[in-house]
Amino acid sequence: MKFVLIDRIVSLEEGKTLTAVKCVSLAEEYLGDHFPTFPVLPGVLLLQGLVESASWLVRMTEGFAHSMILLEEARNVKYKSFLAPGSRIEYTVQARVIEENVSSFSGCGVADGEKIVEGRFGLRHFNLSDRRPALAATDAQVTQAMKNRYSLLWQQA
Amino acid sequence: MAMSRDVIFKKVQEVLVDALGADEEEVTANATLMGDLGAESIDFLDIVFRLEKAFGMKVPREELFPVESLLNNTDLVSSGKLTEQGLAELRAKVPHTDLHEFEKNPDINKLADLFTVNAIVNYVDSHLNPA
Amino acid sequence: MRWIWIDKFVEFESGRRAVSVKNVSLAEEHLHDHFPGYPVMPECLLIEAMAQTAGILVGQARNFQEKVVLAKISKAVFLDCVLPGDSLRIEARMETISPEAAGTTGRITRSEQLIAEIDLMFSHVDQNLAGKKFPKDNFVFTGLFTSLLQEIALNHTRPEPQPTESGA
Repeated sequence: MKFVLIDRIVSLEEGKTLTAVKCVSLAEEYLGDHFPTFPVLPGVLLLQGLVESASWLVRMTEGFAHSMILLEEARNVKYKSFLAPGSRIEYTVQARVIEENVSSFSGCGVADGEKIVEGRFGLRHFNLSDRRPALAATDAQVTQAMKNRYSLLWQQA
Repeated sequence: MAMSRDVIFKKVQEVLVDALGADEEEVTANATLMGDLGAESIDFLDIVFRLEKAFGMKVPREELFPVESLLNNTDLVSSGKLTEQGLAELRAKVPHTDLHEFEKNPDINKLADLFTVNAIVNYVDSHLNPA
Repeated sequence: MRWIWIDKFVEFESGRRAVSVKNVSLAEEHLHDHFPGYPVMPECLLIEAMAQTAGILVGQARNFQEKVVLAKISKAVFLDCVLPGDSLRIEARMETISPEAAGTTGRITRSEQLIAEIDLMFSHVDQNLAGKKFPKDNFVFTGLFTSLLQEIALNHTRPEPQPTESGA
C-alpha cells in the first residue's frame, strides 16, 4: 500500500459518523523529506485522513454504489500542532449531508488529547460509467478493490 | 457614496463565510467570532485581508481586533486569565469599554466575546460613513 | 512516496506571484492505490503542490529566514480529475504578508482549463506556536527544495520592495 492514510476504522454509524486511527511511523518514506531534520505528517495528509474516513462512511452508507469518491471542496481546514512519528491520531468525521452524488462533513483529528486538525469538506461520488459506459468493468474492479481494502481496515470481532 | 449598513453586513457576512468556512446562517450579527464561529489567530489575518479586498480600504489588524494581540502574549495571559499586566494593557487599548465586570474574572474566553460580527460591521460602517 | 509535488518553477516574481509545473506520471507509485485500476491524482496532493509553490513564494519574500508552514486551507475547490499524462500549471499569488503569517490565492490549470482554486494561509512558526517543540534551524527550506531554490536564485532577481504589510 502506497497511499492509504488511515490504518483502522474503529467505529461507524451509517449516515452519521465514523472514527478511524492512523499511526505515524518513521518507516514512512515521505517523512524523510517532510522534513529531513523534523519529520512530521504533512498537513495535507491529515486532510487526506479525514477525506478517507468520510469516504468510507459514504461507501458504507450507500453500499459501495460508486467507485469514485473524490474531494470536491475543503473549507477552513486548520492545523493546530505538529504530528510526529510515534503518534497516533484519531479522526472523527460527522456527516452534515449525504446525498446521492455529493456529501459534506465536518471533521477533526486528535492525538494525545490535543487537537491537530479540523475542517469542513465536501465529497463527490460517481461511477466512471456514468459518462463512459465502456468503463463499467473498471468501476467494478475499483469497487471490488475498495471492498477488499475495507475488510483490511475494519477488523473488529 | 455611502454604503448602507445592510450592504455592509452582507459583505462582512460573505467575508466571514469565506474566511471561516461558516454557513451563511451561522454568521448572525451577534455571533462571536471565536466562540460561535471558531476563529483563531491565523483567521484574523485572513479576515483582515478579505475585508480590505471587499471594501477597498486599509484595515489595520490592531484597530479591528484591539485585544487580540494580548491573547498570544505569555506575559499577559496565565492559566486562561489576563494577568495584572494584561489587564493594564487592555484598559489602555479599550479606554471606552466598561471592564468592571470583566475584571472580577478576567477569563480570556470572555474577552473573546467582545469580537462579534456586529463589531466588524460597526468598524467598517464608522470608516466608510464617518458621522 | 517522496515529498515533492512540483517539478520546476517557470515564473517567479518576488513577493508577488510564482508559477510552477507538475507532471503527473503513471510511474508515481501512490497513484496505483488511488485508485486500484483507475489512477487519479489525490486532491490533497494538488493542495500540497499549491502549498509548495506558494510556500516558496512566501519564504523567498523574507529571504528564507522564516520557517514557513501551512497553517490553514482557507478554500480549495476542485473542478476536474487529474490523471496520469496531465501537465499542470500551478499559479500562486501573495495576497498578504505580516511578521507572523501570510495569505495566498491560487489556481491550477491544465492547458488553460481550470482544475482547482486554492487559497492558503501560512504561519511563520517562530512568531507563533509558542510552547510547541520544533528545531531552531530552518527545517523547511532544505532537502528536496534545495534544487528548486537554486533555480530561483539563478534565474530571478533579488526581492523587490515588499508588498504592504498588514497588522502590527
